[in-house]
Amino acid sequence: MKTLCWHCGEPLLATIVHASVGGEDRAMCCHGCRAAAEWIEQLGLADYYSLRTQPAAKPVLADAADRDGRRAWQRDELARHVVRDLSDGRRETMLFVEDVRCTACVWLIERALQSLPGVASVQVNALARRARITWVEERVSLSQILERLARTGYRAWPLHARALDDIRRQEARDALKRLAVAGFGAMQAMMFAAVLYLRGAGAVDASAEGLFRWLGFIVATPVVLYSARPFFKGAARSLAARQLSMDVPVAAAIALIYAASFVEAWRGGGHVYFDSVSMFVFFLLAGRYLEMRARHHAGDLVDALARLSPSVADRRREDHSLERVGVHELRAGDRVHVGEGGLVPADGVLLSSVCRVDEALVSGESAPIFRRRGDMLIAGSVLVDGPVDLQVERLGADTVLAGIAGLVERAQLERPQLARAGEQATRHFVVRVLGLTVLTAVAWSVVDPSRAFAAALAVLVVSCPCAFALAVPAAITRALNVLARCGVLVVKPDAIAALAQTSHVVFDKTGTLTTPHLVDVQTFNGVSPESALRLAAALARESHHPLARAIAGACSEAALPAAAQVRSTLGLGLCGVVDGRELKLGSSRFAAPDESLLGYADEILLADQAGVIAAFRVSEQLRPGMRDVIDALKAQGMQLQILSGDAPAKVADIAAKLDIASWRARASPADKLSELGAMRTQGAHVLAVGDGVNDAPVLAGAHVGVALASGAEIARASSDIVVAGERLGALVTARRIARETVAVIQQNQRWALLYNLVAMPLAALGFVPPWLAALGMSFSSLCVIGNALRIGTGATA
Amino acid sequence: MNAVLMLIPLALLLLVLAVGAFFWAVDHAQFDDLLTPGLLPLDEAEKHAGREEDPPP
Repeated sequence: MKTLCWHCGEPLLATIVHASVGGEDRAMCCHGCRAAAEWIEQLGLADYYSLRTQPAAKPVLADAADRDGRRAWQRDELARHVVRDLSDGRRETMLFVEDVRCTACVWLIERALQSLPGVASVQVNALARRARITWVEERVSLSQILERLARTGYRAWPLHARALDDIRRQEARDALKRLAVAGFGAMQAMMFAAVLYLRGAGAVDASAEGLFRWLGFIVATPVVLYSARPFFKGAARSLAARQLSMDVPVAAAIALIYAASFVEAWRGGGHVYFDSVSMFVFFLLAGRYLEMRARHHAGDLVDALARLSPSVADRRREDHSLERVGVHELRAGDRVHVGEGGLVPADGVLLSSVCRVDEALVSGESAPIFRRRGDMLIAGSVLVDGPVDLQVERLGADTVLAGIAGLVERAQLERPQLARAGEQATRHFVVRVLGLTVLTAVAWSVVDPSRAFAAALAVLVVSCPCAFALAVPAAITRALNVLARCGVLVVKPDAIAALAQTSHVVFDKTGTLTTPHLVDVQTFNGVSPESALRLAAALARESHHPLARAIAGACSEAALPAAAQVRSTLGLGLCGVVDGRELKLGSSRFAAPDESLLGYADEILLADQAGVIAAFRVSEQLRPGMRDVIDALKAQGMQLQILSGDAPAKVADIAAKLDIASWRARASPADKLSELGAMRTQGAHVLAVGDGVNDAPVLAGAHVGVALASGAEIARASSDIVVAGERLGALVTARRIARETVAVIQQNQRWALLYNLVAMPLAALGFVPPWLAALGMSFSSLCVIGNALRIGTGATA
Repeated sequence: MNAVLMLIPLALLLLVLAVGAFFWAVDHAQFDDLLTPGLLPLDEAEKHAGREEDPPP
């Protein structure tokens, strides 16, 4: 029995649509999925279904606004910001592709685009969810490329042309090269050093020793001069700024060991530590490399959120029709139309009667604010109910784009708190080691000057800041990778530590615990269900409310009539003019206040002035597997709560089904926030899960905010973690992994401390021969990495 | 010992070659994306079919 949609893997509804894929009849949940599946089949790419490891994203039915948005890229004024001319008639751009879930998606995207005549090359990076595309402008346009992606089920946005430069790629390549040189150098240096260590066994005669010392010098030199350059540069920079960063003691230690070994080799006596200095550099670089990868990964996600910036706006022409233009084309005095849930593109005066805006992104004020005609709307705020018109007053760098760009940049510069704390610990440690080295040298020069140099060097070598430096990045990198594999994208790396501490979970109901689906259409006065649905969908697609989305999504027709003068009344419904008829869509109180329609309290009614046309029954279904998620969270000892804006009866029903004792209905975003504040004052660490515009403040205010990848943009922007594929089950795993990570970091740091406490006094007393010092250092670092790799294997508690 | 004297320069030469080859690979985007290309050889036939429809620009 097939109960899941073949394309997107969501549960099938009462109305099943069918499509033939690969010669077999497959059941789909909606027309969007069918269209995408048939299109993939038509391209001859049905193999995608056998290659994929995760179900596809549910395609969003393309509406007229989406298509206009894509067509807008044909305008040169817009395109030149995202497109680079390659001078031979070819153009290049970087797209951010949403909903890339597994490598089969990459395969599908590359095939689908390459079969488009005129597309020269397509490179998709699944991890960063980016596609670099070059095409011949005469034969195909960017709009066509975006259109084809949308038909295949992927929404894509062009990124700023700066993204093509890939500063991060250059940084990653440099780091990899330095790491490789250090690795090769360390291996060779160890090989030559082994000969010296074996001299006691009579493997080499004394005359050859000098040769092997100089060989060690030869391979260690590029390691110190090339690979370790970032440390020297960093040290020089921080000294110039009169600060003591971690680079200073590290660079001093490297330079000291290298110079001392060179002197020893020159003198032809004592020990050389060319192998140790190479390994030292290698392990430190490995730690930095891992941290850089984690940082880049987070940066890619932040970039994805950067497209929040409304680079297009809807301008009213003289005849009141709309045209889509770039924000930078707007002039003061223009009339701009903003849809519900949309971003206000420029500062301006409200021309419509009333609306509510969420200015959280701009001012941090989380509750939506009422604005009346004549009030000022701030660029970058989100329209909670609308749509509205406004008259542009201020534009440019001093408004939204600057604000959001600043937000993104700040997020990118922020390094994980754990990593900062780890670096601090390393710096203190290295300073102490340098102190102890000096102390050892002084003490020995009093006792036995001939051994002073060797003992001091042994202290420097055996002490291992590498274990400290690696402890945090290795664990975090491993955790980010494991989490990404199960569909949890950590936007702010700090969230890992916060997630491990959470004790309470707050859920939003509609859209998070449940998904609304249209199950039944009942019509009056002989209207056909199809035409009623058509009218309702035309109205509903103007709104971002989940119930409206459910109705709009149920209509298969692509060419819906346009709805004009759409207004939304918060919590009640929508009204507007479709095909010349004034229509109302909403609860019975709103749509048909005069008629006594008993038994239609829960339905959504469509009515015109003559009376009720149709009743839509939208039922909420629990997300599949939700019960298991709840039970698993309870088993982890979490306190669960539902905070919903919905009616008490509905919330109680869902709470009972999920066995959640604590719930609150009819909670406004402000109520939710105050509830959250109350929990925080009681010492609870709160994890909030949500998807809607109204959840954004709660997500931002909680210790850890988790948004669904399919949710509203603003919800994702305010969250710390984004769960892909709408599978909240990943949350349970994520919390377990976060706890493991924190535990492993603590173990690693304790281990590094213990090792150093034992090894350093021995070295200072002169008991540690050089080979043991080098061995101990590598062993300690490998322990730390090995321990980090246990994260996600279930070996740790 | 004579063998060692010959082998050591050889080892150093190989080291230089290895580093050179690695640098070349890094500069030619071989390490930029380690995840995606793993899947592409799975379907060579489709790839060629796709290319035929798409004459070079």
